[in-house]
Amino acid sequence: MDPQSTIVLGKAIGAGLAMIGAAGGGIGIGLSVGGAVQAMGRNPDHTPTIQTNMILGVAFAEAVAIYALVVSLIILFVLN
Amino acid sequence: MNSFWNGKRRYVALLLFLAGVYVALEVPPVIPFIQLPGENLPAGYNVPFTDIRITNTLVAAVIVWILLLLFLLYVARRRPKDGSEVPPGGFYNMFEALFEGLMGFIGGIAGGAHFRLIFNMFMTIFLIVLLSNWMSLVPGIDTVGFIHPHVKEKYDAEKDEYKLVTTDGYEIYQGFLGISYVNGQCDWISPADEAAADAAALANAESARLAALDELAVKAAYARYQAAHNGHGDDAHEEDAGDDHAEEAVESDEAIAAYDDVLAAREAEKLARRDRGCYTGVAVPPWQEGYEPYDKSKAKDISLHPDPSSEEAKLVPWVVLPFVRVASTDLNMTLTIAIISVVMTQYIGFKALGIGYLTKFFNFGTLFKSPLGGIDVAVGLLELIGDFAKILSFSFRLLGAMFAGAILLFVMSFLVPILPWPFFILEFFVGAIQALVFALLTAIFMNLATISHHHDDEHDHADAH
Repeated sequence: MDPQSTIVLGKAIGAGLAMIGAAGGGIGIGLSVGGAVQAMGRNPDHTPTIQTNMILGVAFAEAVAIYALVVSLIILFVLN
Repeated sequence: MNSFWNGKRRYVALLLFLAGVYVALEVPPVIPFIQLPGENLPAGYNVPFTDIRITNTLVAAVIVWILLLLFLLYVARRRPKDGSEVPPGGFYNMFEALFEGLMGFIGGIAGGAHFRLIFNMFMTIFLIVLLSNWMSLVPGIDTVGFIHPHVKEKYDAEKDEYKLVTTDGYEIYQGFLGISYVNGQCDWISPADEAAADAAALANAESARLAALDELAVKAAYARYQAAHNGHGDDAHEEDAGDDHAEEAVESDEAIAAYDDVLAAREAEKLARRDRGCYTGVAVPPWQEGYEPYDKSKAKDISLHPDPSSEEAKLVPWVVLPFVRVASTDLNMTLTIAIISVVMTQYIGFKALGIGYLTKFFNFGTLFKSPLGGIDVAVGLLELIGDFAKILSFSFRLLGAMFAGAILLFVMSFLVPILPWPFFILEFFVGAIQALVFALLTAIFMNLATISHHHDDEHDHADAH
């Protein structure tokens, strides 16, 4: 195998492995939105507060997934 | 204007769709060569009177500032000075609804003494990030640009000189109205690779010929073996030697056919490429004899693209260098806004709590009073680290979401020319949500900074007020 295709192979495998981290973000978002929807169903009057806190929590959980995304993007497009 | 765009004019959408189909068939979409940092515009597009090159993301950022200034100038003009009602409808009302809604939203989160300052920061960040995110939906942005030779400068430490190295890219062709297009059907192949492929074909042909000859020789040897076995003795042995010489000298027809087959396959490959409108490189590539080494003083001429219709155009791979690339796909822009956000958070903290704000980070007050005082110190230091982590988290969140969205749009447009409009709707929402999250987190952190850390410590409050 020539060096160029070895590099491409390594990049592809590495970027794919890096995206495993997105699973954690997905779980976190699912849990927080699920909890928020339950809370809103039980207590509709407090929907604005719950929604704000939910968006905040989702943003934090999503940030972790996006770090994984950034790592894999760097592997794909910046590494030489 | 309103009467023109009522339901009866729906055929306009159909015409646009058909035009899109025509363009997609005439000029097939090309998957761009994706680059994370903002691309420099070609030489000659410097910041005036300096050598600093302008990136295409900076162009987008300037467009966002100008648009925002124009919008707000218009809104400020339309705003009634005497506080009277403005007739509903129009662009002004959209802004009024946006400001009122978000003012109520932020008022619920950070409606304290510092509401005005926090809301100003929130709205500024929100509008700037929102506009630059939504720029990725505008046709022509990220796709229309300079046709640019895709060459890299590489430093050669042994010879102490820079040289240009060609990388991947496409061939170009002149299309409609003399506009140059990148030809997505034709990956650029360097002349050296082309020559290497030719040499490999020759070598393959030679080995195919030798293999055919070997096969013949084996057959002949088997025939001789059978003849010898039948008991002709010395005669057969002498004939063997003579036959060997004859086989080396005389080409058999089969061997020549095998040789020609391999070369013909290579020729057919080349012809198929040429039938698709691709040409193959002919000139001296950078790594071969006869190539002029990179001369720094000539840098301007080289990076200024040669005429795409000229013969020199075949020497290099070409890519599109967009005039405008979405500003939030560049780390410089997101990092700048993140630093502004975090620095302003500290400013508001000091403004609200005075020097006592520092006890949030260096909390030695309870170290000897309470048995768990050491934990407070550790928590304070964690807060300090957390504030630096905020810069990273802010900038990478926006960069990651918007850059991934841009790549999503590229790839989808490349796979299916007309149909990726659902992804544009997705990007519309992602852009809005990321802008809201960025600005909302800023507002929340600012609000947290204004709240005193010691709820039970009364004299700290007294100091602050």
